[in-house]
Amino acid sequence: MTLQEGVYHAPGARPGRALVLFFLQAAPGADAATVGAALQRLWNVWRGLVRGAVVDLPGHPVPADALTVLLGYGQKAFTLPGARRAVPAALLTGSFRSPQPMGGGRVVVGSGLSYSPEVRQNPATEEIAVQVVAETQLAVNRVVVETWKATHDGTDPATGVAPLTLTAFYQGFQRADGRSWIDFHDGVSNLRSEERAGVITIKPTGDDEQDWLVGGTYLAFLRLSVDLARWRGIDRAAQELLVGRDKLTGAPITAVGADGPVTVAGCPVAGTTEVIEPGNEAFREPPDVTDPVVDLSHVQRANHHARPASDASSLRIFRQGYEFLEPHGAAPGFRAGLNFVSFQDTPDRVVRILRQPTWLGRTNFGGDPDVDPAAAAALLSVQAGGTYVVPPVDPVEPFPGAGIFA
Amino acid sequence: MPYDVPGRADDLAPGLVKSWNDRIAAEFARLEPSFGSRFFSIDPVAVGSTARVPVTWFGDPAEPAFCLGAAAAQRLSDWDERGRAVLHNEYCEYAAVRAVDADGRRRLKRVQVTTELREYWVTLARSSPDAVRGLVTGITGTEPAWTDLYGVADPTALSEDARESAFAALVAGGQQGPPSGPLNTRNALFMSHPINGLDDLLFIIMFGARPLFTDRAGTLEPATKEQIFRESGSEHLACRHADPAAAMAAHGAAVSGRTVGFADPLGMYIQSFARDVFLLDGAPLPDGWVRFSRGDEGLHQRLEVGPPDDDPRFLDEAVTAEGATDEPVVGGHQIVRHVEVGPFVVVGPQTPLADGERTVLTTSDAPIVCREATVCQSIEQLQREFDAAHAGPLRRVGPRRTEPTG
Repeated sequence: MTLQEGVYHAPGARPGRALVLFFLQAAPGADAATVGAALQRLWNVWRGLVRGAVVDLPGHPVPADALTVLLGYGQKAFTLPGARRAVPAALLTGSFRSPQPMGGGRVVVGSGLSYSPEVRQNPATEEIAVQVVAETQLAVNRVVVETWKATHDGTDPATGVAPLTLTAFYQGFQRADGRSWIDFHDGVSNLRSEERAGVITIKPTGDDEQDWLVGGTYLAFLRLSVDLARWRGIDRAAQELLVGRDKLTGAPITAVGADGPVTVAGCPVAGTTEVIEPGNEAFREPPDVTDPVVDLSHVQRANHHARPASDASSLRIFRQGYEFLEPHGAAPGFRAGLNFVSFQDTPDRVVRILRQPTWLGRTNFGGDPDVDPAAAAALLSVQAGGTYVVPPVDPVEPFPGAGIFA
Repeated sequence: MPYDVPGRADDLAPGLVKSWNDRIAAEFARLEPSFGSRFFSIDPVAVGSTARVPVTWFGDPAEPAFCLGAAAAQRLSDWDERGRAVLHNEYCEYAAVRAVDADGRRRLKRVQVTTELREYWVTLARSSPDAVRGLVTGITGTEPAWTDLYGVADPTALSEDARESAFAALVAGGQQGPPSGPLNTRNALFMSHPINGLDDLLFIIMFGARPLFTDRAGTLEPATKEQIFRESGSEHLACRHADPAAAMAAHGAAVSGRTVGFADPLGMYIQSFARDVFLLDGAPLPDGWVRFSRGDEGLHQRLEVGPPDDDPRFLDEAVTAEGATDEPVVGGHQIVRHVEVGPFVVVGPQTPLADGERTVLTTSDAPIVCREATVCQSIEQLQREFDAAHAGPLRRVGPRRTEPTG
């Protein structure tokens, strides 16, 4: 059994430039068989779109723009009446917590990441998550609208209820500069391609009930907004120590000298100006450091360089994030941030990173929250988050995970 | 090679410190003919760096998880002395302390976690009965009888060899099996699993500290975990947390021509504990419920979680907030899942590798299927024993049909 499309881990593979992640909610009381049948109809719609076929435009194909559609299932999918599969154990311990009734609250107990104060309900906890990636915004947006059409058409005229309803969607885009909204390089030290499959794919365990998942993966999603005003209130040297990289070049910081952060010698190499340029590959993964301040920076906390990456203890994950910018009612009138998306053989990797004190535990982004006000500040806030199991493609199933429903 | 005592936990007479160093030297001398090289030095001063680098992994047993799944791993690891004797082999052992509440129910009071090396205690027990009795008294709060430590009323009348043998049988355990006395089974005084020893720790670092490479299309790259463990016929070790983490850290140094050694003091340490995951009445655990000891700050070898005896509450009143829901604390497995353990090493400067020093492996780098490890057979046997021990009296559930009530 093989991984679903939409996880761009093969050597040379690059994810499409546009992302939509949306969520489907089962109607109250709908049983697994009903939901499965509705999902089958949607799957047919999506496979058509991957080929450029739109249901309402027979014989008039549209550009598919390298569209991929990936299906994930949350805990609720396994508790539908008549569900045929038990909730994967890893989803039970690897799920994010709900926001507080009045807003906010830790996304993982022990983590320094919290829901935004205005978030009282997490929209990313439905039965089904669908990741859509393509080269154009149009191609991913079209999937949202075609999904709505299909669910709308599936509404029971007598009750006005459809078995599945699209409840929320999030858009994102890739950026070619290798940076994030805080201006620093991001995702530079992601896994080497030969390590990725070992990190991503679910491995056999002794639990026979989980065998159907072998070859699949878990998707973790966090929609993180960044407080740019707060970030700009931190001077450049302090920013660099929080991140662990030089702001301009992206060179990893190895120590704190009398004149400020010290970067790794030789980076960037002659004739280049940034770590993402060819010739700087050796510098992309920050080295082990012994300076206690640098050791608490984001890049050091997020990756302890344990080998091999395939061991769950390494806590390495395969990131495939997309930035976002959206209108917002409060100043400054927009919200900027990151759709953090990662794939791993168990969501345990993600939650352990977020809560273990020597990793990102207790800190919002980096630094020592006990002594550094900048480290304690809420630079990042969670707008939504969820973990989903992504079953492998099984040739005998009509769509991935169909065995949950029938 | 003058190592201080593990964790600098004890103020010992110079003769006892020398005895500890003599034991380290003896273990090293035994391993050196097979695994010695310039890439490992038993003398930390000779390595050429004083910066301590932690090598870490999580303390929960890996083997039952990959053999039988997460639920069985928790159940079996928490099976008191039996679970500890068979499964606690990640250089982290624990014991559950139970007490009777006001209603006469026997409940979980505390969990004791230890990473202390057996050989250190045996060294003291061999040379100084007073010293070892003092350690037990300091940990348990009660002075043990000599008969509980040595099986005789006057250990000074025994030869050193006889004291070591008696202490091993009653308290330390070892190759001959778990300890037969209650001191180190009702408590977790120090590690007693036969492969959590000093010799195993030296072995796995020395085993890894070799410049092993693989040829990838004419380019030499560091050998993979799978190749390294497969080449030595020890694939089963690659599936644990401890062995690959320690070996691959040393291997990473060796392929750069660096020498690795144990930082002073040599020992196994509790590197982090995500205490925030545990809640009591919705709040973090009281400070008095989390107690580190047996070492200087950063070098702790002992952790106790739970209320002291004079507190009427019980640890089972706390919950672990791992996923989206809270689960009551039922045993030590939930604690050590959030404990990182490991030694500190020192890593010398990079040096050129001579051609003759590189070993090119041709063994397969295909994934190791941990579930197929032979150890799973003994763990399945343990599961059967657990089931038999926990099967209650039979009750009739239908014509000619019964089931256990346990």
